[in-house]
Amino acid sequence: MGRYVRRRLIQMVPLLFGISLLIFLIIQAAPGGPEAVFLENRLFIDPQVIEAFRQRLGLDQPVPVQYVRWLAAVLSGDFGISFTTGRPVGEMIAERLPATVELMSVSFVFAAVIAIPLGVYSAVRQYSLFDFSATTASFLGIAMPVFWFALILQLLFSVQLGWLPTSGRDTIGDGSLFDQLKHLVLPAFVLSIRHIAGWSRYMRSSLLDVIRADFIRTARAKGLRERIVLTRHAVKNALIPVVSIMALDLAGLFSGAVIAETIFAWPGVGRLFVQAMFARDYPLLMGILMMGSFLVVFFNLVADVAYGWLDPRIAYE
Amino acid sequence: MFIARLKPLLAVLVITIVGGCGPSVAPSQPTTTAAASAAASPVKGGTLRIGYGAEVDNLNAFTSQFLTDIELTMVEGLIVSNDKNEYIPVLAKQIPTVANGLVKTRPDGKLELTWPLQQGVMWHDQTHEFTADDVCFTWKYIVSPGSEVYNRNSYLPISDCRVQDKYTAVMVWDTPSAIYNGLFEAILPKYMLDGKDIVKYDGYNRSPVGTGPFIFVEWKAGEYVRVKRNPNYWRGNQYPYADEVVFRFIPDINTRLNAVKSGEVDFAQLTPPQVKDAKDLPNYNLILVQQNSWQHFDMSIKTPRGAKIFGDKAVRQALFQLIDRKTIVDGVLEGTVQIADTVAPTTSPFYNPDVKKYPYDPAAAKKLLDDAGWKVGADGIREKDGEKLSLTALLSSADAIGKLYWQVIQQNMKAAGVDIKIDTKDAAARSQVWRSGQWEIQISRWVLPADPSVTGLYSCKGSNNMTGFCDPALDQALVASDQELDQAKRKTLLFKAQELLAEDAYSLPIYYNVNPIVISKKLGNFKASGTNLGSFWNVYEWYLGK
Repeated sequence: MGRYVRRRLIQMVPLLFGISLLIFLIIQAAPGGPEAVFLENRLFIDPQVIEAFRQRLGLDQPVPVQYVRWLAAVLSGDFGISFTTGRPVGEMIAERLPATVELMSVSFVFAAVIAIPLGVYSAVRQYSLFDFSATTASFLGIAMPVFWFALILQLLFSVQLGWLPTSGRDTIGDGSLFDQLKHLVLPAFVLSIRHIAGWSRYMRSSLLDVIRADFIRTARAKGLRERIVLTRHAVKNALIPVVSIMALDLAGLFSGAVIAETIFAWPGVGRLFVQAMFARDYPLLMGILMMGSFLVVFFNLVADVAYGWLDPRIAYE
Repeated sequence: MFIARLKPLLAVLVITIVGGCGPSVAPSQPTTTAAASAAASPVKGGTLRIGYGAEVDNLNAFTSQFLTDIELTMVEGLIVSNDKNEYIPVLAKQIPTVANGLVKTRPDGKLELTWPLQQGVMWHDQTHEFTADDVCFTWKYIVSPGSEVYNRNSYLPISDCRVQDKYTAVMVWDTPSAIYNGLFEAILPKYMLDGKDIVKYDGYNRSPVGTGPFIFVEWKAGEYVRVKRNPNYWRGNQYPYADEVVFRFIPDINTRLNAVKSGEVDFAQLTPPQVKDAKDLPNYNLILVQQNSWQHFDMSIKTPRGAKIFGDKAVRQALFQLIDRKTIVDGVLEGTVQIADTVAPTTSPFYNPDVKKYPYDPAAAKKLLDDAGWKVGADGIREKDGEKLSLTALLSSADAIGKLYWQVIQQNMKAAGVDIKIDTKDAAARSQVWRSGQWEIQISRWVLPADPSVTGLYSCKGSNNMTGFCDPALDQALVASDQELDQAKRKTLLFKAQELLAEDAYSLPIYYNVNPIVISKKLGNFKASGTNLGSFWNVYEWYLGK
């Protein structure tokens, strides 16, 4: 196992290198550089100022030179300086990570706690009224646009009822735990809906497969109680594909949710990404995207390792 | 040669809509903002909560790419523009003019402007005093090659800044410039920034030190900027009235309106399509601030095809007459804005009402096109010499209103045999194409400071002349108006420039932009300003009533 993990880690290096080159080229290929944004915002602008701006950012250099410069800096641990704020990219991302991790982990855990039992119960009572309702609700949850649902919840809980704040992470000057929790409710709920809908579907179909397997029949034939059959034999095996899906979603814990964070004015990485994209802030975009890529690759490995633990038939040697 | 003082340049038209004034929002009855604000005497204390849009990049008024609303709570300049579109002195005691003897012509023909400064003004740390040294330091930074100050070229005619004494700065202008009184909207603290690379210096750019009514407290990334009362403010102990101002960054416009509806903010900027949802809120007043800004329809002659089609004035005038501005204003913008016929706002002393107008007139337009040789082809689209009158409109994907009015224009033009395709690009991409001149037609906005100079936009070599049009007579009038400090003569020149602009048919003004703001009925002394320096110019006297 140890050797397998080491080998996978080494394989990540060329992979991430390739990803960085690809992302860099795609970002550069998008029309309009950071100076175009400069022009868009401040409509009266001195052409010499634009030139000074381009020079300071190194944008007057050819793209390969820019890439090599970026790569050299990254290898020495420096992700560069944001074009818009002039601050170190690493610092800017680190500043936003706590908010994103807080929001995403709460919605993740909430979604897992709801989705798995929901999927299990739907499978066990297949074609019952409950199963039909859960299925319909899941499809609604998957199909519902986040921005629309978020605004509806705001209208209901903030504007009409006045129970929850519309947006932000805390009330300025308050900052108590209760206040922070109130701010967390709506965005976490909106984000968890999609996970609940998706994961409970996977759980249901996976369990339906397992329940019909021979070893379950054997377990029943041994005279085990249905509860034990389900929890100890069926659910554990049915979790294998679900866990791999969930592990891949774990990467999102750090890269955040673009739409929900923007609507709820949540100070996370997802919103930072949107800002960076519209501003053509290349170093910041590279920083965020590389972090996201690394995490996807990393959590793929985690999913594979988790497989091995859940399913002894899978051995990595 | 110069007159005492530039009179109020443009009066901002402020339309106040008090809750429950009926379904249609008519911009025809301007009232003052004072009526909107709770009258009575100012109340001390309280936190002003501002629902702001996108997060700003930095808090340096010179290098930020955003409006300087937040900066102006902390930082002051020699001047600021007020609600009547006048430049008024702030850290300067007086704005120099010939009449007050502070503008002198030297024997070598250069101008000397003497700026007397406020005395006893301390920087926020209370250890250093604001002096003429800071003024000249600020000038030196702005004109330095790498300063990245957005309007650096306006400062370049200043060849020297001299500290005459602690409270007097003297500036030497090589050529006269009518906009001299609109510069230095911020002053930098020399003691803090001397020797620093200001463009990159976070110590100032993220926590500015100024002389203003509020002191920087904190900037929580992605959340808010918070400033607190300056207890030693130089205008007097009673100012500022509020204890704190918090600018919350709420990028989504719907969330911003919801935050208003749930009472989380006292002030928020909205967009014109939200006016109907915001005008009847019980605890808020909606104010439509007319901006020094207008939408304009342009054609580029920087491409060979563009030069061929739009080089003909008859075609340009025909296209103008095919744009139904009344439907755009009444339908798309629900009557919240006014049709524009010229570049100066209607309230400006430089507004020329007698320019050539281009009302919607499809019959006249069709005749113009027929006479110009553009005949309707088999597919219903006009053509001439094998060239189809099929035009591509450049549009920013962020421009929600643009998408709506282009549909109107598309229909109007189609009925007259002109085909319009819409090319939607994201903001940065659109901007790049727009600057390059490699487009056919477009509509976007220009924003002016309190001064109505449009030389950069319409002179032959103007740095913001994107269309490539060039009229030497117009050029002459524009350049001369920029150097004319005599109000009456300048007015004549700018009137002529507006007439030429309309006659040449290079650009059709569509409507004047408004900026809808909702403010709490408790907020007093708010005096909206439509200039590029925004509405926070008098934040020291804002207060939250009971």
